[in-house]
Amino acid sequence: MAESDTLDDSNRRNFLIKVTSVVGGAGAAAACLPFVASMNPSSDVLAKATTEVDLSAIPEEGVHTVAWQGKPVFIFHRTQEEIKAMEASDGGFDPEPDQKRVKRPEWLVVVGICTHLGCVPNKEGPGWTCHCHGSQYDDSGRVTRGPAPKNLAVPPYRFIAADKIIIGEA
Amino acid sequence: MKKLIVVLMLYCSTSPVWATDAKLENIQVETSVQAVERGVDDLMNNCHSCHSLKYIKYRDLATFGIDKKKIDEWRGDQPIDAPLAGLMSDEAAMQSFGLVPPDLSLMTKAREGGASYVYSYLLGYYNTPEGMTGNHIFPETKMPDPLGISSATEPAQRDELRKTAHDIVSFLSWAADPHEQERHRLGYYVIGYLVILTLLLYFVKNQVWSKLK
Amino acid sequence: MKNRIIKWIDQRFPLTSFVKHDLTGYPTPRNLSYWWNFGFLAGFVLMLQVATGIFLAMHYKADVTLSFDSIQHIMRDVNYGWLLRFMHATGASAFFLVIYIHMARTLYYGSYRAPRELMWWTGQGLLLMLMATAFMGYLLPWGQMSFWGATVITNLFRATPFIGEQVVTWLRGDYAVGDATLTRFFALHYLLPFLIIGGVVVHLVALHTVKSSNPSGIDLAAKDNIPFHPYFTIKDLYGLGIFLIVYCIFVFFLPNSLIEPANNIPANPMQTPTHIVPEWYFLPFYAILRSVPNLVGGVVAMGLSVMVFSFMPYLDRSHIPGGAHYRPWYRVTFYLFVADMLVLGYVGYTPPTNQSIVMGQVATFFYFILFMLLPFISKAEERWLIRRGLPPDVEAMIAGEAKEKSKLPQRRRRGDIT
Repeated sequence: MAESDTLDDSNRRNFLIKVTSVVGGAGAAAACLPFVASMNPSSDVLAKATTEVDLSAIPEEGVHTVAWQGKPVFIFHRTQEEIKAMEASDGGFDPEPDQKRVKRPEWLVVVGICTHLGCVPNKEGPGWTCHCHGSQYDDSGRVTRGPAPKNLAVPPYRFIAADKIIIGEA
Repeated sequence: MKKLIVVLMLYCSTSPVWATDAKLENIQVETSVQAVERGVDDLMNNCHSCHSLKYIKYRDLATFGIDKKKIDEWRGDQPIDAPLAGLMSDEAAMQSFGLVPPDLSLMTKAREGGASYVYSYLLGYYNTPEGMTGNHIFPETKMPDPLGISSATEPAQRDELRKTAHDIVSFLSWAADPHEQERHRLGYYVIGYLVILTLLLYFVKNQVWSKLK
Repeated sequence: MKNRIIKWIDQRFPLTSFVKHDLTGYPTPRNLSYWWNFGFLAGFVLMLQVATGIFLAMHYKADVTLSFDSIQHIMRDVNYGWLLRFMHATGASAFFLVIYIHMARTLYYGSYRAPRELMWWTGQGLLLMLMATAFMGYLLPWGQMSFWGATVITNLFRATPFIGEQVVTWLRGDYAVGDATLTRFFALHYLLPFLIIGGVVVHLVALHTVKSSNPSGIDLAAKDNIPFHPYFTIKDLYGLGIFLIVYCIFVFFLPNSLIEPANNIPANPMQTPTHIVPEWYFLPFYAILRSVPNLVGGVVAMGLSVMVFSFMPYLDRSHIPGGAHYRPWYRVTFYLFVADMLVLGYVGYTPPTNQSIVMGQVATFFYFILFMLLPFISKAEERWLIRRGLPPDVEAMIAGEAKEKSKLPQRRRRGDIT
């Protein structure tokens, strides 16, 4: 095998080879897309992206927990006193007025996942307490004691009837 | 080129279709939304009382582009995510027919002859001299003539039923392979791309090898 | 920077010398035809099957009540699930097609002869593992063909002396093919490809020890070897392009032609389909199994029909260089063998009738007779060719190559011809 048999660099970098490499590389990259896409939620999972909840069965002071996209969502029917108390303050570490966190003041809808490390807080007295690391939330789902950094998230939802909401669609 | 032919021959020689003894009428199914919509409509009226399509959900019909109003009519108070379950319970079916009517989701793929088989079968009913109905394509069938082809004598009426059967089969073909059109569309792009890439590789190969004395 | 990293690695791992010795500089006979592309293609299909298989396994459920539904879930709901599944199902056929051509090339050109016996035998082991993987993978969709195929094939082990029934029950983990069988087949179907990859490494190490054979059948002198890169990298890629076109025609336009209709019906242990057939790649061996009217005899015949290839280095006693190209008698034997395989494949596909059974028995007999006669055919042919003399150009080539080689005896033996 003589040295001249191997191609020198200038030849190898010629136009045709460049074009072919680009075309081939683009194809190989495109071929990866179906593999990546297959790991995204499938259409039957996506179809479960919204949850309808009938509120008429929840009494005042009652908390209803429903699953939305596999996560617990708390629906809390608040009394007038609780609404007043909540509207009076801006919460603790993550100040936010109560009006911004509800669509109708008597209904609080929050994702029941502690913003610290993802445990589910329990309803205890006024507000919620997370037993994993001791975080506390008030009746607006706002954090009042750490280590949780943020208020309980409000999921996108809207009223589709007087006493019916759909979670997952704003 | 020679290799390609050999390859194709090898592949083809292994996939002949063994149909029933009776001759099937070869048909080409329609893939348009309108034909499939007519097909679901006919199927809901003629087949759905006994047969389920458990792999098809009402939302699949909506995604494909079938009229939302009609879907709501068919599903009644079932959620949009519900499958097209049959209306007859397995026990009731066992009592009436001695077997559970097969699920139709994959029917056109599950029979030799595919859509042509189902079409010919639906239209294969005839009246026996004893006053019963028989079927040319599947003589052991337990299903009573669903479309009424055996008692249809008027040519116009028969044509109408043939059209109904054709629509039903078009829907069933879609149901058995809902991504077929997407697959074909993507296939043209992929093969077009591969032809270009292979040509380029061929030129590169010639260029590289031409350096060899 | 790049050089420093490579230098750092080279002090700890023979990266540069490996790349130079086995990839870029690997000396390859310049006269290889396109029939030598199929080894690379087999490696490519193996990788394709592993990739699609892993992604399918993310959605598949190995449970008799769920597996059929999970395939439909993949086909209908998973993003591009239909593509992955059809690629995998078509890939199985493509794998066997490529491997059978690879083997046919080896047989035609006599590449199994010394010093390449180990390549042939590792290849034979890879074929057996491939067959096992394909067979177990075929159960996973849990359709009628899956179930009855697995039932029939596991029943073959009833031919084991004394403990046949126990072996069958042990294989299935149940009295009939059931949930335990499905789950273990899935586990093994996932495992075996990685053993195959290990086997391929052994196959390639053997190849790089003895170097590629070539159509002339003569070990070429150094001047007729060229570096693998760029000549054969580009040739393999071009061949890959052609292969992918054919493969994609099947994946996108004819995927169902390779799937038996009965496998779209969920497995029913109470009812056998009227006509059960294995996948096309098992048909010739299945025909041999059916041709022997005795359980043990059939199983032995089928096993032997696969294993008989291993004896080729000893059955072929001719020392004439080159494959069938320079050996007219061997060439005829080769084509008779291919024709016989096709007949057996056809017989395996047709339902057993008196006529097809007789045809299968004749073809089976012929299959083994060809192998048994090969030592005599090859020896007689060798005598005939020596008496008659090889064609002058072949003689000239042998002489020329021998002269070239004698120039560099030392270096060639060390293998560092570059």
